[in-house]
Amino acid sequence: MDSKERIETAAAFLLQAPPGEINDVLNDVRTIISDDELLQDGVYPALRDYNLAQFIVVEVPGVQHQAIISEAARAPESTEDGPERFVDPRSKSTYQFDHLTLEASDPQPVEVDSDSEPLRAALESSALKYIHAHFQEGVASVFSSTKANQYTIQIVSNKYNPTNYWSGRWRSEYLVNLSDNKIEGKILINVHYYEQGNVQLATTHTLNLKVPTAVVTAAPPASASKILALIEDAEGKYQSTLQGTYTTMSEKTYKNLRRALPLTRQKMDWDKVLGYRLGAELNSSKGMFSNSAATAAAAEDDE
Amino acid sequence: MGDLVDSMLDLMRRLPPTRTEQNVNALISICPDYADELLGSVDQPLQVRTDRATGREYLICDYNRDGDSYRSPWSNEYDPPLEDGTIPTPKLRKIEVSANEAFDTYREMYFEGGVSSCYLWELDDGGFAGVVLMKKTLSPSVPSEPAGSWDSIHVFEVAERGRSAHYKLTSTVMLNLVNRLSGEMEAGPDGKGEGWKHNGDVTLSGSMTRQTEQDWPVHDQQSHICNTGRMIEEMEIKMRNLLQEVYFGKTRDVVYDLRSVDDLEKARRQKELQKELVGFIKR
Repeated sequence: MDSKERIETAAAFLLQAPPGEINDVLNDVRTIISDDELLQDGVYPALRDYNLAQFIVVEVPGVQHQAIISEAARAPESTEDGPERFVDPRSKSTYQFDHLTLEASDPQPVEVDSDSEPLRAALESSALKYIHAHFQEGVASVFSSTKANQYTIQIVSNKYNPTNYWSGRWRSEYLVNLSDNKIEGKILINVHYYEQGNVQLATTHTLNLKVPTAVVTAAPPASASKILALIEDAEGKYQSTLQGTYTTMSEKTYKNLRRALPLTRQKMDWDKVLGYRLGAELNSSKGMFSNSAATAAAAEDDE
Repeated sequence: MGDLVDSMLDLMRRLPPTRTEQNVNALISICPDYADELLGSVDQPLQVRTDRATGREYLICDYNRDGDSYRSPWSNEYDPPLEDGTIPTPKLRKIEVSANEAFDTYREMYFEGGVSSCYLWELDDGGFAGVVLMKKTLSPSVPSEPAGSWDSIHVFEVAERGRSAHYKLTSTVMLNLVNRLSGEMEAGPDGKGEGWKHNGDVTLSGSMTRQTEQDWPVHDQQSHICNTGRMIEEMEIKMRNLLQEVYFGKTRDVVYDLRSVDDLEKARRQKELQKELVGFIKR
């Protein structure tokens, strides 16, 4: 395998890392590849892909809140030549981000678009209220788009508990398009439980919501609060659907795979099962067998 | 290079169980020298083959492999055919034949379908060892039905000690459940408003390994089948319950840790109110 293929394989491993375990996976990959120089250069793009896809949370320099790293958070003025920058609309600043250390640096103020900012800010304040109500450790970012009347709401909630061998991540994203009266959303959940085993839950969910015209035309605060109410309702319903799925899986699917006990509600009688077999063999071979188990089993058959 | 193998095993414990096969293959291409060690320590979903002689299905693993051929437990033949493929001694083959019949009955009783296979081989110290494999796959006829698979691998070693024998059992269960959801739901907190479409899937997968060592009385060679049978049955029941209660239960609990169905703000206010009331009563 040449070094390019090795890096591609390593990158594929990194992208599968469960919530909060990217460093553990990176450490393993480091030992396996055992070529730090090759790894350092080659693996950075994979870490960037992982961070953007997983809505990794960053402490924005100089402010008291966290923001989300994602495709939507890429600063529009990021050029191909200069270093990539991400935007935190809440503090109206952009920053650089190190995908290995997960640290932000060089914050710069950014000018906001005065047309979209009132509704964006209103959506942000409603989104923060919403995560406060339903996520213990939620982070939300709301981005306006270069296209008119379009906003992206992103939510992430992480819980890492390596001491007790579990971790989880809830991601949701809503593309609010008020020109078309619709919201396209997706919810992704990943849970890893690995105490003496490896059990993972992975869900994907896409949904389309219609936004009533009255909501679109309302003043920003009213409109934003209605939009977040729609999202809150959709996420709540999804969570109860998920509960139903768990019930189906554990009561029906699981049972169809393997019963807890045979139909007889009793464990298998191994002596008897072998006895029947031996008995049959005994009959067909006219007593060629004469060991005690066969006799005992045959006697049992007679009972 | 214990570190390297440890890292590979740690990696496999973290990456999704649904992708074990691809990931093991990827690791082998990076470190071909460790292929045997890796294949020996990471269990992978079992593959089904059909016995050419009897038409019956059987399961393949490292234990019934010789070169590129696999031995069927039903006909004792290798596929592709091998002139001098390793086969058990006639005495051991006799136990193997009975064991395959017994575990086939077991499979029917617990799995009501699927495929089972049992392979035995001699050990250098005079004892013998074996593996019992079970596989059941649910393939839905329509996409909305749940799909899933169960693979279990039970490797045991038998050491006879006079009228009893010492058994060492290592069991692995690999499980995969997939549920597709789609449909339309009523919109809005009041249930009014236009419907919204949704679809997605829920994948719950896992693997776990457990070990046990036990002594059981032995009357004759067939006793080994009863003894390992009981141990495997006990172990599968235990692991099935563990997966359902502990592992699945845990992943569900974590979802509720991530997002609370109830309004946390209301709960916080309620708590405050309660505190005030308690303070008021105490006064």
